[in-house]
Amino acid sequence: MLILCAAGMLVSAYLMVGQKALFTAIRLYGAQSLLLGIVAATMAISEGRPELFVTAVLTVALKALLIPWFLMRMVDRIGIHREIEPFLNVPASLLVCLGLTVVGYRVSTGFEAGARGVSHHLIGVAMSLLLIGLFLMVTRKKAITQILALMTVENAVFLVAVGVTSGMPLIVELGISFDVILAVLVLGVLVQRIVGRFESMDVSRLSKLKG
Amino acid sequence: MASNPDAVAAIAGAVLQIAGLLAVAPLLKTAIKKMKARLQNRQGPPLMQGYYDLAKLLRKETVRSETASWVFVAGPRVYFAAALAATTLVPVLVAAAPLEAAGGILLLVGTLALGRFALATAALDTGSPFGGMGSSRDMTIAALAEPALMLGLFASALAAGSMNLGVLVRSLVEHGPSWHPSDLLAFAGLFIIVIAETGRIPVDNPATHLELTMIHEAMVLEYAGPDLALVEWASAVKELLYLTLLVDLFMPVGIATNLAPGAVAVAFLAWGGKVLLLAVAVTIAESTNAKLRLFRVPELVSISLGLAFLALAIRFL
Repeated sequence: MLILCAAGMLVSAYLMVGQKALFTAIRLYGAQSLLLGIVAATMAISEGRPELFVTAVLTVALKALLIPWFLMRMVDRIGIHREIEPFLNVPASLLVCLGLTVVGYRVSTGFEAGARGVSHHLIGVAMSLLLIGLFLMVTRKKAITQILALMTVENAVFLVAVGVTSGMPLIVELGISFDVILAVLVLGVLVQRIVGRFESMDVSRLSKLKG
Repeated sequence: MASNPDAVAAIAGAVLQIAGLLAVAPLLKTAIKKMKARLQNRQGPPLMQGYYDLAKLLRKETVRSETASWVFVAGPRVYFAAALAATTLVPVLVAAAPLEAAGGILLLVGTLALGRFALATAALDTGSPFGGMGSSRDMTIAALAEPALMLGLFASALAAGSMNLGVLVRSLVEHGPSWHPSDLLAFAGLFIIVIAETGRIPVDNPATHLELTMIHEAMVLEYAGPDLALVEWASAVKELLYLTLLVDLFMPVGIATNLAPGAVAVAFLAWGGKVLLLAVAVTIAESTNAKLRLFRVPELVSISLGLAFLALAIRFL
């Protein structure tokens, strides 16, 4: 169950790489977060740690519902629905991501030789998600996809935190959640400023701001 | 050879399986059509429509282009025969394929490729622009879909240590599903392949005759009467075959391990239910997606290639 959800997160990340429509990408991010919530809930049951339920509920409420809703509203308001040109075309990005996943898995074998089985796969998936997220952030021009990539990286970190160390203290958890909301809000404002100035979400145009 | 009881049983099983799948396949196609119609608040065709269509086509006269050669005549026949031959390699109700001694995954993929080749060359034969366009499109997609199909199947084969589908399913039944992440990756990859290979919406639209969207339809545009019936029937069998393959590899619950009537009856119900479940998934995928532009299709298929490759790679890591 845990592993299947983690694998599902990886699949959603890949679909995100191959996706050009912003709405679908946002929905994929929502699905990914939902899976993360399920991972947390499964951990809560299997490890007998009820406070992980709070994490699960927070994850689902914030990342699977609130943030996608906010991003969708923003896309709606800006009125740009397609991400036209990434720096790399889709097949090439996919190839790179494949390589990154293999690297991620390879690296995860180095973590604590004792951790076999479940946590091996969890770390592997999380590492791959992290690398794919970073890759997406670097190669996409549109500000919103960059936010999504950042959130993917955040999901990956969360997956390790929940899956391997069986959760952080609740106060840290809450802190991170609010951090994430604030980050998205600030980035949202930033995106709207960029759109207001350039009438496009293309971040590469920011270099024109040189004085 | 005929005196060997095993061989006789295998051949009898193969005949039964071919007949059964041939009988059920049109039903599946209509069922998907019907569910799709229901999702769009339409009535949809009656469930027996697939059979009516086939009966109608089989009664009609054959019309062939004057410039058509034997390749055109052979096309639908080889396609049909290849689809039937492929069905004998896949376990359906019992955890053993009737002719599994003949070969495994590679033979299955090869047989299906032979059918596709026959249809594509036949479509080129009359020299009509539509046929050539259809076959070139089909080959473009196949070039990516076939390796993805193989990689996805290999990923499952690696777990069982055998390329033979019968052995593979038996080991799945014996050890239970492996709950390995590569299972899900392979499933996601293969599901996209099934949609691509059966000409379903994000890749091809089975319901239109518009030149911008046609792949499969463009190839069979020149056929009429019994020839067309063969092609359509074989396509339906292929679709059922792909879904059965997914069911076998990823949801082996309920499949019979012996020939006891009770176990086979349960297996039949389980198989029907699981195929229907996948058909619902296909319907939902069809209804919620728009047809992709042709140039975007390779991107979708390369995603599935990526997923299948990853499934294979993760087995080793």
